Amino acid sequence: MSTLTPPAPRVVASAHADPEKRPLTQASLNDDVLKLISLPGKIWWAAFLFDLAVLAVALAAVRNLIVHGWGVSGFFRPVMWAVDITNFVFWVGIAHCGTLVSAVLFLFRSHFRRAVYRVAEAMTVFGVLTAAMFPAIHTGRPWFDYWLFPYPNQRGIWTNVRSPLEWDVFAVNTYLTISSIFFLVGLIPDVAAVRDRAKHPLMKFIYTLVSFGWTGANYQWKHFYGAYLFFAAIATPLVFSVHSIVSWDFAMAQVPGWHSTLFAPYFVAGAIFSGVAMVINLLIPIRKAFKLEHIVTLDHMEKLAKLVLLTSTMVGYSYLTEFFMAWFGPNKAEADLFWFRATGYLWPAFWTMFSCNVIFPLLLWFKGFRRNMVAIFILCLFVNVGMWFERFVIIVTSLNRSFDPATWFHYTISITEIALIVGSFAWFFMFFLVFVRVLPAFSIAEIKETLPPPRRGNGVHA
Amino acid sequence: MIGAIQKLLFPPPPKFYGVMGIYYFVDDAAKAVTSLRQAGHKQVRVYSPVPHHEIVHALEEGPSLVRWVTAVGGFLGCTGGFALCFYTIYTWPMVIGGKELYSVPPFTILGYESMILLAGLSNLFGMLALARLPEIRPAAPYDPRFQEDRIGIWVACPPDKTGPIEQTMKGHGAEEVQVHA
Repeated sequence: MSTLTPPAPRVVASAHADPEKRPLTQASLNDDVLKLISLPGKIWWAAFLFDLAVLAVALAAVRNLIVHGWGVSGFFRPVMWAVDITNFVFWVGIAHCGTLVSAVLFLFRSHFRRAVYRVAEAMTVFGVLTAAMFPAIHTGRPWFDYWLFPYPNQRGIWTNVRSPLEWDVFAVNTYLTISSIFFLVGLIPDVAAVRDRAKHPLMKFIYTLVSFGWTGANYQWKHFYGAYLFFAAIATPLVFSVHSIVSWDFAMAQVPGWHSTLFAPYFVAGAIFSGVAMVINLLIPIRKAFKLEHIVTLDHMEKLAKLVLLTSTMVGYSYLTEFFMAWFGPNKAEADLFWFRATGYLWPAFWTMFSCNVIFPLLLWFKGFRRNMVAIFILCLFVNVGMWFERFVIIVTSLNRSFDPATWFHYTISITEIALIVGSFAWFFMFFLVFVRVLPAFSIAEIKETLPPPRRGNGVHA
Repeated sequence: MIGAIQKLLFPPPPKFYGVMGIYYFVDDAAKAVTSLRQAGHKQVRVYSPVPHHEIVHALEEGPSLVRWVTAVGGFLGCTGGFALCFYTIYTWPMVIGGKELYSVPPFTILGYESMILLAGLSNLFGMLALARLPEIRPAAPYDPRFQEDRIGIWVACPPDKTGPIEQTMKGHGAEEVQVHA
């Protein structure tokens, strides 16, 4: 063995006072990202234990639902879907952003995605896991949920493939499978970097398994990126199809406020809107807490904020189109329903939705606002509240004001439903808190590709 | 105890014969690959933290075959999804409003989702098979620096033929050359 050229000096990222201007090299990137994977501190444990405590309360509520029936949640005819399916659609929507950022922006060669897509993908997987719980619980007898899948049985009964609810089973399960694969495949090269630094033999063994023994050989990279391109290509139409199919759960019914061809694009835009807002809410604390402002820069955050603005205008256009069609169209029940949405006893839900999703995001037209992290963090919290209320308004107002006035019903939210809403966030954050500490939350390999490679020819080196 | 676990989980690496050159500069590594291939060493392996176009060109790699595996999976998924719909609807007929049992729009949805599901799964398994993952036994000496910022070029050869390879690597700016003989 002979040493011919002295190794390049290591750059210490924390040596620079301005977090945005910390230098980034291939080696320092490993240091910066992998420092997240360490024994968690007191703040993490406090957050995690609080999260588990909230989740325990929600599980008690689910136990009551299963043992005593749906009556304890206040679900009565005709509002049988209420908060459960509101939560389902909300979390499926949240889950859409990850694949959008990782697949659609990959195909468009938008390089800013590289700094943010891992968090978005993790959010997707955990979002679908959260969403899938609600229809499973909503069946009332979750131990029979396997009936939803087409499988040979002794009675020769098959699922009704013409039902939108069966389409949902296929769409959501396909989405969960593909987004999980996409997430785990993208992790392979980065987990190999974690494996190489793991000191405990058991941890080294686990990370070796998850990284599939990745070495970064040329034949591995070749097929990795060959496959990654196709994952992106097949996940892109999947993003649009899944939330379209979720929207058809409603649009296929002849209920006023639901039976509309607008629903598919309206739901997809809304899903991306809420998903990107949630990514911003997750990224801002992480980049601040772990001093990663030089990796997830202000420019990256601003581009995400622009996506929120774009999708906000699409959602706002959809809201106005719905009202216009109700006014312009011949359906009296539809016109009455939309008037009821804005002025009936559920008006606070409607106006919360409209303000948070259409009016407040107009602030994003201002560059100064888009580049203010505190401001966009608070705005995105409002957007997520607004998007939850959007689904609530669609589901509850339409169900409790259908064609026949004899069926009209005064809906009030129950304490059990509130426990389910809060519990869904606890369930999601339980996964997310663990993810940040055990897997690389930022794509080391892909961010490295954005750095100028060290060349003797042009003198670019650390 | 830990030593025993380590021995069980991480057996000693196999004996390799060849030369490993470690590079920092991408252009040096690409030139070294070109020279080695011109010297007749066609089985050059390159380890790097990210793929570099210059090195891919030097290796003269074609496109990955994984796309054909994905296409076959997608085709099977699509036909399987449609077949499932037709089979189930005629095995358990539910006549609604006196209409025909088959209905193209919903069948298209299930066929489409099945196509994506199987295309994704075959893409995954195709990638793993072609990239020879999981790599249980390393195919060459491995260095953790390959996951950070160094590029490794490995040429397998008998112990008596390492000299010219070592010289070529040194001549192209290798930071370190390891001879495994």
